[in-house]
Amino acid sequence: MKILFFLISIIFNFSNVSAAEVNIFSSRHYESDLELYKKFTGKTGIKVNVISGKDNALHKRIVDEGKDCLGDLYFTADAGRLGAFELKGLFQKGANSEFIKKNIPQNFRSDYWVGIAKRARVIYYNPTKTNPPKNLKYEDLSKEIFKGKIVIRQSNNIYNQSLVASIIEHNGLNETQEWIKGLVKNFARQPKGNDRAQILAVAAGEAEYAIANTYYLALMLSGKKGEEQKNAAKKVIPYFPNQKNRGTHMNISGAGILKYAPNKQNAIKLLEFLLTKDSQTHIVNNTFEYPIIKGVEPNKLIAQFGTNFKQDLNTNVSVYSKRQSEALKIMTEAGWQ
Amino acid sequence: MYKNFNFWFAGSLLVSLFVAIPLFTVFFSFFNSTSEYYDLLRNTFLKSYIINSFIILIGVLSLTFIFGVLSAYFVSFYNFPGVNFFKWALILSFAVPAYIYAYSLTAFFENYGTLFSLITFIFGEGNYNKFIPKFDGIFGAIISMSFSLFGYIYVLTRASFYHQSHNLIEVSKNLGYNAKESFFKIILPSARPAIIAGLSLVAMECLADFGTVSFFSVSTLTTGIYNSWLSFDDLNTANQLSFVLLLLILTLFYIENYSRGDAKYHQPTQGFRKIPKIDMVGKKAQFVSIFCFLLFFISFIFPTTQMIFWTIKFPKYFDLTNILLLNLNTLTLVIFTSIVLISFSFLINFGNRISKSKILNYLSFFSISGYAIPGVILAVAFITFFSWFSDFFSSFFSTTSIKKIFIGSILGLIMAYFIRFYSLAFNGIRSSYIKINQSIDESSYLLGYTKFRTLRKIHYPYLKNSIYLVSILIAIEIIKELPITLILRPFNFETFATKAYANASQDLLEAAALPSLFIIFWSALLIFYTSKHILSEK
Repeated sequence: MKILFFLISIIFNFSNVSAAEVNIFSSRHYESDLELYKKFTGKTGIKVNVISGKDNALHKRIVDEGKDCLGDLYFTADAGRLGAFELKGLFQKGANSEFIKKNIPQNFRSDYWVGIAKRARVIYYNPTKTNPPKNLKYEDLSKEIFKGKIVIRQSNNIYNQSLVASIIEHNGLNETQEWIKGLVKNFARQPKGNDRAQILAVAAGEAEYAIANTYYLALMLSGKKGEEQKNAAKKVIPYFPNQKNRGTHMNISGAGILKYAPNKQNAIKLLEFLLTKDSQTHIVNNTFEYPIIKGVEPNKLIAQFGTNFKQDLNTNVSVYSKRQSEALKIMTEAGWQ
Repeated sequence: MYKNFNFWFAGSLLVSLFVAIPLFTVFFSFFNSTSEYYDLLRNTFLKSYIINSFIILIGVLSLTFIFGVLSAYFVSFYNFPGVNFFKWALILSFAVPAYIYAYSLTAFFENYGTLFSLITFIFGEGNYNKFIPKFDGIFGAIISMSFSLFGYIYVLTRASFYHQSHNLIEVSKNLGYNAKESFFKIILPSARPAIIAGLSLVAMECLADFGTVSFFSVSTLTTGIYNSWLSFDDLNTANQLSFVLLLLILTLFYIENYSRGDAKYHQPTQGFRKIPKIDMVGKKAQFVSIFCFLLFFISFIFPTTQMIFWTIKFPKYFDLTNILLLNLNTLTLVIFTSIVLISFSFLINFGNRISKSKILNYLSFFSISGYAIPGVILAVAFITFFSWFSDFFSSFFSTTSIKKIFIGSILGLIMAYFIRFYSLAFNGIRSSYIKINQSIDESSYLLGYTKFRTLRKIHYPYLKNSIYLVSILIAIEIIKELPITLILRPFNFETFATKAYANASQDLLEAAALPSLFIIFWSALLIFYTSKHILSEK
């Protein structure tokens, strides 16, 4: 009889639902995030439950489950996605506590979600082979002199969509359209592979410039991917573009509280916990992103390239979500695969 | 009889409808919205989705045809060094899912990848990247799928060759054909139904693939449906794409079934004589041995070694308790799903048999839809349907919500697997069931056995072997399954596949190696265990 009950309880999931818990839907897959949640549980007694998956599928599940969705927090790695969640009314206010408002720059949060860590999308080059022009801007990459020299991943990648979205925001649709046409002409090859593959292409001499996020280089430098990758990474350095105007394009990993969160207070506690110095230190040392609060240094693998570069702090990252579909449209129209 | 008919009919109908849920959900979604995505898609993407899908399809079909038919031919008709080993070693390729193959392929050939390290290790420092071929994009997807799917064609073609009448070979000899001529004029045409059946299975798997193409960021019909449905809430587009895809898949399924029917007539019932194999010697034998070895090496040893290499090189990703838990989780899913699937398939088959209803046979056609729909679409359709059902149920009976019983639970996972693999279980048991002569049933009734007793005492012993075989096939499928598990699992619940995926998507294929290795290990073990059945009985 006991066995029968045990079996039934497995199937029907009658787990002991503890009163103190918080449920996360996450499209971030970092093992280190789980370690951080354990620390949170140790400190507060609140259990953290996680489902990770692909963004689109999680999104669909949250929409379809509606008010029965057990998720409290949605955690993802692109501001555009957070903005889209807000627009669709899937978040509730809560990520705007006094603590959060005080510590997080305004362009990296809204009333509905908050950035947890930052990443910069930069230009990589091999300093022994390439001498980039002074005051290089993203906008310059469409010029003739870069013909056949640039690698970047495909247009279906959300980081590219956000980058283009931010440029549309600043330069307008028509100008950006022209820019993209020029940029695509300058590609060294058909876009393929992830960000790390772009950096490797520069290291291997297949191209002179790669556009990719900062933490990929640090991941390689960390040795987590072996000696060869580490040595390859040492051949390239990042260039932080647009220093003379708005600053380098920034994106965030962030989270918001879901509309029907059953454990809203715990969710706020977790968000605030993730924004403490200890947690931020843990995050930057494992994922190699930039901290989102002041007083925490990025991991030295990434800090060695400078921490004083000008970040684009004027663009509210929530515009990415509004401009992403325009961005995708002009990218594909220009033949960006 | 009439009473029975009703009961079995209702049962069959219910199961068929259940399995067809995703199909209906995708086609007749319960809400409707359109977006500007449609125009964008129609103008720019749709064509490229279809073209990509076709390029991949044709590439994979060509390669699997060459690999599968040639290896089956060599193994069936010739003696060459290692033939008895290759006979079963070639089916081990089933153990490596295409997405895991893709991980190995990419990491091995990328700039500064494993091959680069190897060359550096042997020849010292140098700029070798230029000379290393790159397997990525569409090309990578074709290679990954071909090497993990050619087994279908190998197994089916080999079975057909195996059962080929000895006379056929005699005839070709008498006609004075040489080896090449008899291969193209006699052997190949007579195995055509089996080859076509294999190709259709490969084509279905290929069109439904999501993991591999999304790893290589290639947009296909399947990713198109996924994106238009999920990212843009654009059901019209999703439905249209689904329609094209399903039409393709249903056609393939029809071809497969039809060819299988044909294949039956090629199996001699009496006077079957094993074909005496021709001894190969010299260069020819070497060539054939090398061909089979390369095929085995590239399809199985290569990805497995890459995973073992990483596991040893990066021991810090090893976590014993985690591994035990993953084993336990996988085992739970396998056991429950197998029990449910086998019981239903067995009973419905029995019902079809005793009620002798034609309509029931047609209904069973629905059972394929779970297999036809890509896993990732099935999972999402499952969520949509049960959300709707639960809302309807709770408002009708004024109860609290029952969503969490279905979504994010083990039960939900088992139900979704049921939909996905019902066709496998049902048809697997059916193919053995139809071999039991109806007159045996009648004799049993004459002896005073009830229907149920006939089932227990007569049918079950006959079918025991195929039940065993089918459960192992289900186990292998579940161990490898990714998209359904990923989105429907409960909180904090991981399988090898989800773990490998999570690590791979943070660009740490090194950490994905151990869970991947476990997928390969368990699948290979189960395949090894059943290789006798797979190789002889089919």
